[in-house]
Amino acid sequence: MTALPLLPTTVIGSYSMPAWLERAKNDYLQRKVSRHDLDDMYDAARKAAIKDQEVAGIDVVSDGEMQRDNMIDYFAERIPGVQIDHVSKRLYYDFYESVVRSKLATGSLGLAAELRFLRQYTTHAAKISVSGPHALVKRIRNDFYPSEDAFALDLARVMNAELRELVRLGATHLQIDEPYYSGFPEDLPWAVKAVNALVDGVHADITLHVCYGNRYGKPSFEGTYRYLFPTVLEARVHTISLEFARRGEDDLQLFKEFEVPFALGMGVVDVKTHDVESPGMIADRIRRALDVIAADRLVINPDCGLVHLPRDVAFKKLSAMAEGTRLVREGLRS
Amino acid sequence: MIIQRNYAPSALPKGTDAAALTAQVIAPLTAIVEDDAGLDGDQASTLRVHLDWIQYKTSFRDPITVRRAVDQQEQPLPLAEISIDLRHVDPATLQDQLRAAVSALTGAAPGPTDAPVILDTFRPWRESIIWPFNRLFWQQLAAWEAYAKRGFEAALPSGGSDANHPEAVKASVEEFCALLGDLDARGQLPQDIYAMEIGVGSGARARLWLDEFQVADSAARTGYYPRLRFLLGDYSPATLDTALAAVGPHAPLCSVIPIDATNPFKVLSFLRFKILFVHLTNVYDNLTFDEIARRDGQLYIVEVRPYVSAARARQIQDEFGFGPGELGAAIKRLLSYGPDFLEDHDVGMAFWTRIWDALRLEERLRAIDEGDDLHLPKGVNRSSLDDVLAEAPQDVRFHLSRGAAESFINTVALLHPRGYLQVQDIFVSNIKDYVQGFRGPGKLDGSFVTWVNGAFLHAVGARAGYHVKFAPFPYRKGSKTQMLYTKRRD
Repeated sequence: MTALPLLPTTVIGSYSMPAWLERAKNDYLQRKVSRHDLDDMYDAARKAAIKDQEVAGIDVVSDGEMQRDNMIDYFAERIPGVQIDHVSKRLYYDFYESVVRSKLATGSLGLAAELRFLRQYTTHAAKISVSGPHALVKRIRNDFYPSEDAFALDLARVMNAELRELVRLGATHLQIDEPYYSGFPEDLPWAVKAVNALVDGVHADITLHVCYGNRYGKPSFEGTYRYLFPTVLEARVHTISLEFARRGEDDLQLFKEFEVPFALGMGVVDVKTHDVESPGMIADRIRRALDVIAADRLVINPDCGLVHLPRDVAFKKLSAMAEGTRLVREGLRS
Repeated sequence: MIIQRNYAPSALPKGTDAAALTAQVIAPLTAIVEDDAGLDGDQASTLRVHLDWIQYKTSFRDPITVRRAVDQQEQPLPLAEISIDLRHVDPATLQDQLRAAVSALTGAAPGPTDAPVILDTFRPWRESIIWPFNRLFWQQLAAWEAYAKRGFEAALPSGGSDANHPEAVKASVEEFCALLGDLDARGQLPQDIYAMEIGVGSGARARLWLDEFQVADSAARTGYYPRLRFLLGDYSPATLDTALAAVGPHAPLCSVIPIDATNPFKVLSFLRFKILFVHLTNVYDNLTFDEIARRDGQLYIVEVRPYVSAARARQIQDEFGFGPGELGAAIKRLLSYGPDFLEDHDVGMAFWTRIWDALRLEERLRAIDEGDDLHLPKGVNRSSLDDVLAEAPQDVRFHLSRGAAESFINTVALLHPRGYLQVQDIFVSNIKDYVQGFRGPGKLDGSFVTWVNGAFLHAVGARAGYHVKFAPFPYRKGSKTQMLYTKRRD
């Protein structure tokens, strides 16, 4: 593994989901495909996703999250104590009905297997993303804890053990996804506390990803990131990853207005359109960010996961992102 | 023979003896098939007889029609069907028509005096001649109405349209205001409040809606009215001019946008995720469609071929002075240049109305290769059709409402995260209803009406991230209109 360059490029996590894999996931729910066959397909798709990212020129890659149905169920199924109604969905992308009726137990979430897979199939730096406590609290029904923040803090306790274990096994880049902050800005004080509990003692490069949602390739909320400030400044993370490509760059000013203790993961690729940005357009976006933030505190990524894009579009967007970043790096050197 | 009843008994007029009605056609048909038809044993045993009750006064079907099946290379397949419209069958000619239908199945050609005038080759519905006729009608609507001495809405089965019902408009405004209030309370209401109507027609509904909105806003003192940006969308610039005039004092808040209803996103992409409300009335039922049939597990696309019967063709030729063989060319000129292709406008109009009345479509079933795209509309995933088929009866024929599906996909792409789409139209919301009645196309004055496959839209919506639900139109008793609503799937 080599050291990361200036303006490192990365993904948010998910890669283009092949239509054949979507059908297989649905068929699995209807008992038409075996778990064994589905896992085989996952592995093939994950290898392809890793390879695409490498060829596109991405510095910190993921496994494409092909094995995740959505950002909630993958974790809800793994967190000890969350009860799942396994017949509550027909389409893989839907959410299961899930509920917590007693205190969560501590136990492995099985993410080590993801790390081993990544280590086996890439020499690039690799990232593992987890859904944050706030997102999980908003989707898993709480029939036990006295409040949402109490539930979130206990989720953070359970997941913290998993993140620590991942670091012990060699994980270097971890990410926490929180797409619902923007819909519930009033939750931010306890949501940030939950993030801090989650990353406590986790010695890795940690990114907090906050977007406006990407269900079915559409935003769930609208607004500005102003609501994040100043509360989010208390988050003990290394990078905050935000979407700018779709929404415009007005919120970059927040990084001038506030003394931000972490790097910015700048979304420079709009994942909600099939139109592929040119490298020049991406380079311009990065340069505008450099007006308010130093190059050594800037990470380059898409606005969100690429799951809803066709593979060719996703690949072209990542390639354009890598090339646009290269153009800016060259300019910085000269 | 396999007999399939394609109507609900409740669709028949009160007092109708359904058994007697069926026996009236099945008994002679059986006798013909058994006695002297020339069908071999396999043909006779696998022949499907569809009993329909077509509620429209006129359609593109003769009361007794024959459908054959072909493979993708147009080679004949064993499947054959006879379709009998119990409502329109004439007892006096029944025997002869049944005999002719069975004879056609054997491949026997009609005699030279009985041969219909064929106007085109077999094509899927989406490419058929009904679309040029439809375009001509809407382009020449004023001429048609003047000639027919009645407005086109008077030709609707209900005798009028539900489009501008004041109570429906009021309810629509109330729902919209509730959304605005909720967004406002959360501090998430955009400064510019975008709403849109697609297919504005005369602009009467937009005017009503804007009047109601202004009143509601004024009463609640919410101050939303001046922030409203109301988009009037239609494919016809002339219609948009009329609509803009119709909205009167609200015109400063309105923009007219010439758009293709199947792809509003194309010209409005700059408003992606910004529009809070889109309304369409009676637009989907006039967008292109196909029909898919499933027989014994195999999927077929319905192809149609236009014709005019020999007798009607002779009448029309005689009336308008065309020689034998000139009818097809005359129809082409009508579709290209309108009724004024003949020197006398009224004569041209008379020709148009006679042809429209005489126009029939022969149907055939063409097998679909499951590996192909199944003739899916642009942007629609194969899984959406699979979802519909999973819920459908084994033997079923249904619309693939391609124009409606494209319009839906390319409209919801414009919606704000809390925005919604509302469509007022005639929907088949349960796919099983396709075996319970004829869903079009039925003929109207110069145009036609086709029900929209709501079950398909439901599946398409689910894949696009929307719950699509349907509700009866509650403002007029007996109305066939339904309301389609969308809600974002979580």
